Amino acid sequence: MNALEDIVNDWVEVNAKVIDFGCGDGSLLKSLSLAKATTGYGVENDPKKIQDCIANGISVIQQDIDAGLLQYKDMNFDFAIMASSIQCLRKPKVALQNILEVANKCVITLPNFGNWELRTGLLKGKMPSSPQLPAKWYETSNLHLCTIADFEELCEVEKFHIHKKIYLNSQGKTSWLTNCFPNFLAAEAIYLLGK
Amino acid sequence: MKICTEQVTFELPLALESGVTLPSFELMIETYGELNSLKDNAVLVCHAFSGDHHAAGTKDEGGKAGWWDQMIGDGKTIDTSKYFVVSINNLGGCHGSSGPTSLNPETNLPFGSAFPEVSVQDWVNAQRNLLDHFGISCWEMVAGGSLGGMQALQWAITYPDKIKKAAIIAASSKISSQNIALNEVAREMIRKDENFCDGDYLAQGSKPKQGLKAARMLGHITYLSEANMSKRFGRKLQNPETKMDAAVSYEVENYLQYKGEQFAETFDANSYILMTKAMDSFDPAKNFNQDLVQCFKHIQAKLLIASFSSDWLFPKEYGKDIQMSAIKAGIRSSYIELEGDYGHDSFLFRSDEYAASLQNFLEGRDECS
Repeated sequence: MNALEDIVNDWVEVNAKVIDFGCGDGSLLKSLSLAKATTGYGVENDPKKIQDCIANGISVIQQDIDAGLLQYKDMNFDFAIMASSIQCLRKPKVALQNILEVANKCVITLPNFGNWELRTGLLKGKMPSSPQLPAKWYETSNLHLCTIADFEELCEVEKFHIHKKIYLNSQGKTSWLTNCFPNFLAAEAIYLLGK
Repeated sequence: MKICTEQVTFELPLALESGVTLPSFELMIETYGELNSLKDNAVLVCHAFSGDHHAAGTKDEGGKAGWWDQMIGDGKTIDTSKYFVVSINNLGGCHGSSGPTSLNPETNLPFGSAFPEVSVQDWVNAQRNLLDHFGISCWEMVAGGSLGGMQALQWAITYPDKIKKAAIIAASSKISSQNIALNEVAREMIRKDENFCDGDYLAQGSKPKQGLKAARMLGHITYLSEANMSKRFGRKLQNPETKMDAAVSYEVENYLQYKGEQFAETFDANSYILMTKAMDSFDPAKNFNQDLVQCFKHIQAKLLIASFSSDWLFPKEYGKDIQMSAIKAGIRSSYIELEGDYGHDSFLFRSDEYAASLQNFLEGRDECS
């Protein structure tokens, strides 16, 4: 089980109804279902990943997330998850407003563009890459990269309530040092947001 | 692949939605592969509007392959070396099951238009008896396209503990007023054929072939996509030596003439009317205050809903609507949009993604939601 699965398993209640936007092969939903008996739905647009979901017995909806989150409003979702997808959307702020309409509790994860390794990459004069951001600039699906500081500023301005946050270093671990200087040391941040 | 065709007589009364009760009835069925000792490998496939029980394989040398032969067979998507596949001709059909061409015991003449109205619910209730016939407690999957997909959905609603998976392909939870309108034009063509004789043409030794042919020609256009017709026929002129009719100019006209003619030879006009009426009236939410979510609440089966992007008769929004109600109801359901070039008929033709979806769904692991 990876760090994200551990963390989300800890946050999600038993029997919760969960939707995962950008669910990939459905492994997170599967681990939640096994650990917490959740009813889960994934939203995914990659045909290969959709097949993985179906073969894994995960309920999946073929859809581009940009084509609308609000259609999942009023469906009694307890939890909405958007892992490493927010930076790929056309309108991240609207997406965050909308996902908070879908469920009262939302798990958002983002790659931290303020991480020191990426900063040094930029200092060398080229677009940096990392395990979290492996693609080249010309083929990346990331449209709106941001730092932890940027994201938390947006949450403050928009009054998105951050219930919990966890900063992970490039080894996918939490540490005292990373928590002291998250914007510089964290590779990834995981938030539990609410309205 | 082992193929068995049989006409099964059920000496049981069947109460139809219309209020009429059939004292007994016959279903023509065809099976592929073999039932295993645990009897947990049975798949029911439901035919679309003009289909029949012959879904796969070729029965006689030079005979026609079944309507879903691309998907059913040894090593195919629905693998008959693993699954026992049952295919039926529905009640009211004209290929061996009780229907307008059957003899009415009261008059010793064909029922004709006197055969009672049937619904998708009635079909599923009739099919329910097949479980006992084979000693099966539960279908591993019920699958179908178009009107067949509606039956798969009805199965999941009506018999929640008798079906594990439902593949609802190119279908809808109710058809639109445009769909009903197209069906009515087809029916009107049949009814206004002078040989229709108010539906009693068989007793009077005639057949409304022209009406049935015209109805099929109209229907056929709606089953194909504009892009597919352009690709296949374009504006090519028909070779004068192979013209079906002197009035034909273009290849597409000749094709429709040929298809219509062929269909009118083998299909029954009263069955056509009956089946289109069953399609029009399908609306499982009608017993739940038009609330599909309530209607879905007791579904235990896992659903796979597939739509085709080139299908303008049952556009993909129909499938998505079923999916959204399924999510609201909290039942396990997936929705996919497939490419498919053939318009509504795409569900008949194998494509890699389509086949993978159906096979992964049927054979996929089932340990979690």
